[in-house]
Amino acid sequence: MQVFKAMFKVMRSRLPSALIYIVCFFAISAIIANASTNDNKFEAKRLDISIFDEDDTPESHALAEIIKKSNDIVEIEKDKDTILDSLYYRRIDYALIINKGYADKLRAGETAELFSSYHLDESFSVVYMGQFLDEYVSTVKAYLSMGEAFDEAVANAEDAMSQNAEVNMLSRIDKGGNSHFSVDFAGYFQYMPYILVSIIISVVSLVLVTMNKKDIRYRTNCSCLKESSYTFQLFLGSFLFVFIIWLLFMIGGMILNKEFYTGRAWYAVLNSFIFAVVVGTMAVLVASFEPKDNVLNLITQVLGLGMSFFCGIFIPVEVLSDKVLSVARFLPAYWYVRANNMIADITQFSLNEVIQCYLIQLGFAAAMVIITLLVRKVKYSGAAIGTAVKKAAAAEH
Amino acid sequence: MENTVIKINNLVKRYGDLIALDHLDLEIKQGEIFGLLGPNGSGKTTTINCLLSLLAFDKGDIEIFGKKMTPVSYDIKKDIGVIMQNVTVFDELTVYENIDYFCGLYIKDKAKRREYVEEAIKFVELGDFRKFYPKKLSGGLLRRLNIACGIAHKPKLIILDEPTVAVDPQSRNRILEGIQELNRNGATVIYTSHYMEEVEQICTRIAIMDKGRKVAEGTKDELKRMIKNTETITIEILDVPDNIVKEIASLPHVYDTDLSNGKLTVYCSGGKHNLIRVLEVLQKNELSFGRVYTELPTLNDVFLEITGKALRDKEE
Repeated sequence: MQVFKAMFKVMRSRLPSALIYIVCFFAISAIIANASTNDNKFEAKRLDISIFDEDDTPESHALAEIIKKSNDIVEIEKDKDTILDSLYYRRIDYALIINKGYADKLRAGETAELFSSYHLDESFSVVYMGQFLDEYVSTVKAYLSMGEAFDEAVANAEDAMSQNAEVNMLSRIDKGGNSHFSVDFAGYFQYMPYILVSIIISVVSLVLVTMNKKDIRYRTNCSCLKESSYTFQLFLGSFLFVFIIWLLFMIGGMILNKEFYTGRAWYAVLNSFIFAVVVGTMAVLVASFEPKDNVLNLITQVLGLGMSFFCGIFIPVEVLSDKVLSVARFLPAYWYVRANNMIADITQFSLNEVIQCYLIQLGFAAAMVIITLLVRKVKYSGAAIGTAVKKAAAAEH
Repeated sequence: MENTVIKINNLVKRYGDLIALDHLDLEIKQGEIFGLLGPNGSGKTTTINCLLSLLAFDKGDIEIFGKKMTPVSYDIKKDIGVIMQNVTVFDELTVYENIDYFCGLYIKDKAKRREYVEEAIKFVELGDFRKFYPKKLSGGLLRRLNIACGIAHKPKLIILDEPTVAVDPQSRNRILEGIQELNRNGATVIYTSHYMEEVEQICTRIAIMDKGRKVAEGTKDELKRMIKNTETITIEILDVPDNIVKEIASLPHVYDTDLSNGKLTVYCSGGKHNLIRVLEVLQKNELSFGRVYTELPTLNDVFLEITGKALRDKEE
């Protein structure tokens, strides 16, 4: 297994750059995973509110108490400039003035001009407080219309407004009830193609180009190593590298997600494996053209970034134009992303369509193997070699 | 008793209308250092490629170690070492790893391979550089590494294709000594080079190829006898009358004379005492002269006379 071992020794030269890709990917994924964990905790927003009670009645006091329960009261001077400054500098979100006659009007069932306020336009605090006050007044009115005494209606409204619904933030749950494949985790798979393309093509292609350099190949062909054994070892080395990189990402995903893969996540795992194989065949095809080192770097970037921008890896598919998508259909990453979106319920899940995406990706892999064989046949055929020698000899004679 | 290591019989290789090898016959005996000479495009590399079954040929037979050579003759290939003109090593592997890789293509047993690699490193004196990467090595060290990669598995037949190109005299001398040492240890060597003095120094037998044909073959002395010029006499003299030049030209074995730049050059073909006869003519006519020197033909003269002096500027 000399060739196999030599491949991994040659890979050493590219491992630092591959490692940078891997570390960056895991670091970004870890940050995203951490941020999304915090997003899952629900906490009601508390506003900073200043209340100016001009009515100064038990009813207005009761309202102020209710507001205090779910918000923070900020005491400021009742002066227009002071209030506006406080709003401008975000010391308060809302300034509520309970107008004089509030209790009387409410008792009479009137709702007009109960309150005045200072607030910033287009602020969510306006909507929030507006809804809250409307709800409170409506509730009091409802109890009054039911024939309750005013004090009773206010007390009941206070009780009603104090009740909070229990809120549980859930990950996106697929229709099959699989809670282990959240949108965040789908994002992990979403960005994986770029890294797979960058690492696999830059490393595998480089190794294959090195192993198939004219002189190295000549010397190897002179040895007693069988051609079939040589090809098998190259295949094994390339496949093993692709598998190790893919496995590394799967283990990384497991650690970042803090869960083992279950349910529909396995479809994403399979999808990523198929894509890794496709990229492996792509690397073999690129290597068959024997590009120089700088050209190989260029090809890697063009393929990686090109597919990322065209196929919905960096930009969501929904915002890509039809023209771009019609081009993207001819790239394997498009079908990877399409399957991934279905698996993550970003688009309607259909197992048949997911399988169809797998098969199309495998079709790309098969096509690349065929093209590679054709390229090699043309490059290393007797005719091609003969032509080169004939040209040299003809020039001589 | 000398055994035949390589026997090439009536080998023909065509590229369309072009005949690269034209009914080539060659026989190389065990223990020889066989020089394969020829201008660019003469068919040397094609011959080696056919010999190694890397190139299919149209007609003829090749036998190595008494067995017919085919692309799948792995039992023959295991006893052949190839050292190419270009340094063929991995830039990404150290000196030790490179030798180990190429040795490993022939030797599966790890312990044996380790021993062979160490011997090869010792042989080319690269012990201090075993952990160096090729990019850190000088041209001479690289050549030695190239040789170590080709001979580490202890082949019985070693093919060297211009192994001393762009090498300093010290390294070249060490390489040539090494080749002779390998030969003394029992390896048969095929050596191609454009450096005639190297071939003259180490080869026991030489074949000259031109236009796909073997145009001459023999030991260096046999080859030198094949050409017209066997001795060139040069005399530093200011002026020689025409009649005396004619008298010298009419001497036995003299086939040409040249008087230019204060030098009289007399070209002889065979015979003995040519110098004495020429000097006798000068003394008889009381002509004074300066230094006199005589040169025997070199392999270079043989090569140029056989293959011609026209430029061959295209590679095979």
